[in-house]
Parts: sequence; C-alpha cells; structure tokens
Amino acid sequence: MSATVPRREGTDWRVVRAMLRRDLGAIVRSKALLLPMLFLPTVLLVLLPLSIGLAANGKTVRVERALELLPERLVAPVLSHPPDERLIILVLGYLVAPLFLIVPLMVSAVTASDTFAGEKERRTLETLLHLPIRDRDLYLSKLLGGFLPATIVSWVGFVLYAVLANIICWPVMGRIFLPTWKWTILIFWVAPAVAALGLGVMVRVSTRVDTTQEAQQLGGAVVLPLVMLAVGQTTGLLLTGPIVSIVAGAVVWAIAAFLNLRGAKAFTRDRMGSRL
Amino acid sequence: MSTRSVRCEGLTKSFEGEPALDGLTIDVRPGEVLALLGPNGAGKTTTMRLLNGVLTPDLGTATVLGLDPWAQGTELRRRTGVLTENAGLDERFTALENLVTTAELRGMDRSAARVRAGELLERFGMGHRADARVQGFSTGQRKRVALARALLHDPELLYLDEPTSGLDPAATRDVVELIASLTAERGRTVVLCTHFLGEAGKLASRMAVLFQGRLHAFGTPDQLAADLWSDTEVRLDVGGPASTELLVALAAVEPVVQAVPTDDGALVRVRSADVTPSLVRACVAAGVDVHAVTPRARTLEDVYFEVEARAQAQGTDDGLGARPVAT
Repeated sequence: MSATVPRREGTDWRVVRAMLRRDLGAIVRSKALLLPMLFLPTVLLVLLPLSIGLAANGKTVRVERALELLPERLVAPVLSHPPDERLIILVLGYLVAPLFLIVPLMVSAVTASDTFAGEKERRTLETLLHLPIRDRDLYLSKLLGGFLPATIVSWVGFVLYAVLANIICWPVMGRIFLPTWKWTILIFWVAPAVAALGLGVMVRVSTRVDTTQEAQQLGGAVVLPLVMLAVGQTTGLLLTGPIVSIVAGAVVWAIAAFLNLRGAKAFTRDRMGSRL
Repeated sequence: MSTRSVRCEGLTKSFEGEPALDGLTIDVRPGEVLALLGPNGAGKTTTMRLLNGVLTPDLGTATVLGLDPWAQGTELRRRTGVLTENAGLDERFTALENLVTTAELRGMDRSAARVRAGELLERFGMGHRADARVQGFSTGQRKRVALARALLHDPELLYLDEPTSGLDPAATRDVVELIASLTAERGRTVVLCTHFLGEAGKLASRMAVLFQGRLHAFGTPDQLAADLWSDTEVRLDVGGPASTELLVALAAVEPVVQAVPTDDGALVRVRSADVTPSLVRACVAAGVDVHAVTPRARTLEDVYFEVEARAQAQGTDDGLGARPVAT
C-alpha cells in the first residue's frame, strides 16, 4: 500500500477535502448544474442594478407615489434621501435584498439535489459507499459541497452587485452607498444561514429519492414556503435595526443546525446501501 | 495470519420485510477465488455489500481480514477493493481523473495517485484513453477502468461483481486472465459474484450456490459432485452406436447402473470408475473393438444445474430468476 493515511478518530479533513474537490469539480463540468446556478445571480445581481441605475440616471422613474402606499415608519429611511436618489435607495438598497436570499437557497438546492440522488442517478453511489469514508465524513462533505458554492456565489455576487451598483449610480449618488452595515449582516450572516437551512432539507430529501429531478421537486415543495417566509421578512430586516437581523439570522442558523444534525444522525451507510 | 480471509455465519438480511439473504454461512481462504453463483436476485451482491460493511445484517456474524465489517468497516474498506456490477464511473471526469479522485478519497496523495493510476491504466490497455472523458467509453473500457480503480491501493481482498458482464469475448478473456494472475502471482483473495459458469469454472476453486437468498451448495465442484451423485459416467467409443447385445453385456457388469447408446458407442453410468477395465473386457468379449474409454467428470454446469433443480424441487425457487449462462 502506498501513501495511505492512518485512521483518525475525528473528522478526516483530508477525505472531506478530496470529496469537495471531486464534487466541486463535477459541478464546474456540469452545464445542468452550472447554468441554473449562474443564471439567476446574473439577472439579479448584474442586470437589475444596471437597469435601475440607468433608469435613475435618466430620471425617468419617480417612486414617490409608491412610497406613499407604504407605512411611514418603513419609508422614512428612503424619504430621508434626496428625490433623485430615492429610486436607487428603494430598489437597490432595500427591495433587491429579499432576492439575495433566493440565490443561496437556489444554489444550495441545486447542488444538494445532486448529492446523493445525483450519485444514485449516475450509479456512482455504490462505489462511494465501498470506500473507506466514515458515514459522518461522507455526510459532512456532501453538506459542505452544497454550502460552499451557495455561500461563495452569494458573496461573490454581492461584491459584484455592490461594485456595479456604485459605479452605475455614481452620477446620481456621487458616493459609495453599498454596502451598508445592514447589508453586510444580511449577506455574511443571514444568507449563509439560509443556505444551511435549504441544505438541511434538500440533502435529506436527496437521500430518499432516486433522481435529482425528484429531489428538486420534492425539496422545492418543502423549501418554497421557507423561501416565501424568509423573503417576506427581509426588506423589513433592512428597514429595522441591525440587532433584529442578527437575531433573525441566529434563529435561521439554529433551525438549520437542528435539521442538519438530525440529518447526519439519520444518515447511515446501511440505509443508503439498502436503497441502491 | 488467520486461516480464513472471510468467515461468516448465519448472515441474514431483509429489505422492507423481503428476505434477501437467509442464514448464509461460508468462508474464503487466503489467496482463494470463491465464486458466488446464482440467478439474479439470489443474494450475491447483497452478500458482497454485507461483507464489505456497506449493509448491516439483521442477524449473523462475520470476520473479514480479521475485522468486523460493521464495527470496523472503514478500516476494512481500506484493505478491500470492489468492482461493482455497474462500473460506477463519473462520466463527467476522464478515466485518469476517476482513478485519481478515488485514490485521494482512499487517502493517497495526489502525485502518488497520478503515478499509480497511470500505471494501472497502461496495464489494462487504457493508457491511450487516460485523458478522455468516460462518457464516450464502451462497456468493456469502463470495466477496465473500474477494475484499475479497484486495484489502486493494492487490496488484499477483492470483491468482483459480474466483472465480465457486457464484455466482448476478447475483453472477457483479458479480464479472466487478469483475475487469475492476481491470485496466482500476487496471492490476492477474490470473492467473485457471477452468473457466468465458464468464468467461475476457470477462476474459482470453490463455489457457493445461492437461490432466493439461501445457500444451497458450497465447496469445490468435485466435492459437490460427490455429494450430489453417488455414481459416475464412462464414455465408451466403439466407432459407432453400441448394439443391443453390447448394451446388455455392459449392463451385466457389476456395478453398472445404466448403459445408453451414443453416436460413437455408449455412455455407461457406474457406481465407481474402478469398473472401467471390466467394461473394456465386456466389449472385447462381445467382439467389439474399443477406440477410447473416457471417464466423464461432472462439470460445473452439471453441478450448478443439479443444485438448481434440487432447490426448485424444495420449493425455494420460483423460477423467475435468470439462469446462469454456461460459457
């Protein structure tokens, strides 16, 4: 035997890293996974700031009438800006935020549905189960294989979004207006929590079905109400103080941790092997 | 060193209440090829998965390479190699990438993995396709790559599940020769699941015949033949079909059970092959020239199909499974 690693009691990070390299490498090579993962972020994070920025620069859209329909307490942060800036502040500063939570959820859903169900579909799961990888390491690497792309796409997307929004809106704003502290909390605290929540559901679904399509359909039915709930509350989070965002993120993290820990306990080689 | 690479007793496994394996007790000696024979659904693959710790039994015990497959599964799987029935290669990767990825998951470092993978692909005649995506590979090419992958870490024990299914005759011959060389030259132990009797006959020293999850026979073909039949057959070549007079004369020899004519003489069932000289004398006495006398050994096919017939007679086989193919 050559260059093998001695048995360790804790998580075998070398194996987890190898599994991540394998799964992330496979994602990069799969158009079916890559395109949906990139399409929505491109629309939300690139095309939307472009069009809003151009509209604001042309002063063709006024938002005062729309703001009159909202509660005064909520629109006060927008109305505190000069009229020319209000469209930008309202849309790019507040209304796009909920859509940002869809990105990590969608990316984690796509990748998680491809984990165990995808392995079954490609008939590679049995080979995987015959390898010297402990159940919890296998589960952990599959979770991370979904979590990392979702978080990376969200973070990279946000940086891109902020840069683009600031550049395009510079003629109107005359300053860097993104990111704000509230946005930072949302992207770096709440968005990963949402991704973890999606994974908690999707990976478990993926272990129970035979194809990625089934996993996406079944997982979507479970995740969608969560999405609606999260999205519905997000603009409110930005309009309130940062403490509320931090607490909301902590609640989502707690639920995600509960789901993922339960999933890890329920995941056994025997259960997976019995479904081959 | 243990005298057995694999030993299991009373191994039982059900899936959703449906029994898949019922009280299997077998053993495999170091360096031996054991063939698990039986139709589809007999429990061969389930046995392999249980013995590699992928499945946990409902009942029974096992020791594989001195380890408990369920309590020490990870440790065991470091020392075993598996070729699954479906090659199980990721089509998005090249042949080399498939091997290197598996090697890394086995704990090998990347550079050592690349060297080893390259060597094995060359050895299996796939060196020229190492950097090609598996997507376009034929079944035979996939099997070769998968077999190379199973040998990456030089395992002590190999589980091979239908290693030649889907292969053309030349590829089948190559794979059979390779498995033979693994045991002959490198002393590896092999558990071979197959329903190709010719392949089992060439490779395996012992066989375990399963039907509907139950073990119906276990041993060498000769041992099983001795258990199954109390008589043997002798083929007499007298240059043409035996006459009635000759058949009567042969039947009169003790301890002949039966004599039937064939195109070139007679097939005589006897209690013991020791009676052959008496048969020749009976022919000579009848004025018949004897061209050849051949004791006919029971083949693996004879044994297998007799076991199957007896299993069906016991009502344990519903006859729905595909029959093994004699090749």
